[in-house]
Amino acid sequence: MRGLFAVIILDMKRLWGDRIRLVSSLIQPLLYLFMLGSGLGASSTLGSNHYLPYIFPGVVALSLLFTSVFAAILIVFDRQMGFLKAVLVAPVPRPAIAIGKVISGAIQALVPGTLMMVFMPLIGLRPSLPEFLCFLGAAGLAAIAFSALGVAVAARFKSMTVFPIISNAMLLPMFFLSGALYPLDVAPRWLQLLAHADPVAYAVDLMRGSLFGKTFFPVWLSFVVLAGFITLTTWLATRIFTTGEDA
Amino acid sequence: MNATPETAAIETRGLSKTYDGKVEALRGIDLTVRQGEMFALLGPNGAGKTTLFSILATLRKPTGGEARVLGLDVLKQRPAVRQRMGIVFQEPALAQTMTVRDNLLLMALFYGLSMSEARTRVREILETLQIKDIEDREAQKLSGGQKRKLELARSLVSNPDILFLDEATLGLDVDARRNFWAQVRMFIRSGRSVFFTTHYMEEAEVADRIALIDKGQIIALGTPQELKARIGGGVILLGTRDDAKAVAWLNAQGYKPEQSERGIVVVHAQPAAVLPLILAEMPVKTLRAEVHEPSLEDVFLTLTGRGLGSGDAPKPAASAMGGAR
Repeated sequence: MRGLFAVIILDMKRLWGDRIRLVSSLIQPLLYLFMLGSGLGASSTLGSNHYLPYIFPGVVALSLLFTSVFAAILIVFDRQMGFLKAVLVAPVPRPAIAIGKVISGAIQALVPGTLMMVFMPLIGLRPSLPEFLCFLGAAGLAAIAFSALGVAVAARFKSMTVFPIISNAMLLPMFFLSGALYPLDVAPRWLQLLAHADPVAYAVDLMRGSLFGKTFFPVWLSFVVLAGFITLTTWLATRIFTTGEDA
Repeated sequence: MNATPETAAIETRGLSKTYDGKVEALRGIDLTVRQGEMFALLGPNGAGKTTLFSILATLRKPTGGEARVLGLDVLKQRPAVRQRMGIVFQEPALAQTMTVRDNLLLMALFYGLSMSEARTRVREILETLQIKDIEDREAQKLSGGQKRKLELARSLVSNPDILFLDEATLGLDVDARRNFWAQVRMFIRSGRSVFFTTHYMEEAEVADRIALIDKGQIIALGTPQELKARIGGGVILLGTRDDAKAVAWLNAQGYKPEQSERGIVVVHAQPAAVLPLILAEMPVKTLRAEVHEPSLEDVFLTLTGRGLGSGDAPKPAASAMGGAR
């Protein structure tokens, strides 16, 4: 699709020019994994040795979620700096802009997300190759879903100041509801019900299931929900890009 | 649909735009810009220039009427319109952390060129606009004039048939503006069209035709000479110790004066003949008195009773623009 490649190149060039952001995006998940994880693990019925591997997929999901959504801030930045206008007056199909942004956000999130996997042996996680590949696939799907969410939200925003505030207010509940730090099957009923409406919960469940073989949601349901979520949010973003300055 | 020589570069019929159902930014604009024409849209802030520009540039939808660019409907044939136009916006529209070359390459890819075609096209543009020496510099490190040149280069990457310029030289010094317009003139020599909005009188005067816009309506349209001829005669410009009192007196004498940033403006069929009478009889001390040919500012003032409020004082056309076309 015309322009798709250009949108991705644009963001990759900027990502390369901002390598510090990449490295610093590892700090938050590592803090969750080693500090919070060790602290909570000590009091968990799973124990520290089992708790850290258990939350590992959740922490990778955290990294993917925040990095991909905040990668979409480039859309707000481009709107504020005027560059988005130059893109919008080019004969690029609007779906190409939205899909290109979703893919580039997912790539940006997968870089630190994949780097996190270096720490797997440190916490006693030694998956087989098929398990590891399934985990990578699930992480890729999750990154696309989270990036699509970021693009749909950022496409509407005009202020660089407001976007992070709103994003945080939206992402933290999604993360806490997802079962990233606790098993959903022993969570209170109301939490389990709310988790059904949280796409992050399906992503975490799919990633965890690929490593441990046990899932809370049926695997097919997780795929359907995430695919539906990606379609819906990308469609929303496309609509906003189509509206142009009237948005 | 391909534009034939008879097809207008721009055609609008009853074009209107209302924001939030309340603010009428455009109120039935009828406009025809011919192919190969350099056309200026002149008006004060809030007149509707940018809204009209945004609709023609396919960035906004009109709430009524229709608009065509090179015979293509700006609503129904948006991709085709976008393919054939180049735009320079009032604000910078560059990827600031990328180099001049990368900005242009990227834009060429957005316009559907392959990577090798894009490289060739960018090399041509860099040479034509004489910016090869800054191709490796980041956009954010360029001077104001260089940034505008890059914006122009960006708009020309697609080899457009029509160029839209929205206050494209705002904030540039006279030299940079002269340079910018010299490049634009190279573009129109090949028979293509330019539609531009501006605050600067001397810029508007090099246009083949000018539309004056106020409160969302075209209030006058013609060549610079035709517009000036509409008010007839000449203009007396007065500066006094008490302008309010002077205006009251001039009104009482039937002169219909207007107050502008430049002073008191009196349009008269025989300004040189009446000026001595005014100076002799006006009961206010005159500090300054000039008689000159009507300017576009005077035309606008006469038609609306208000100035264009451009901020910068107009410079002689020949010096600022490097000579008229």
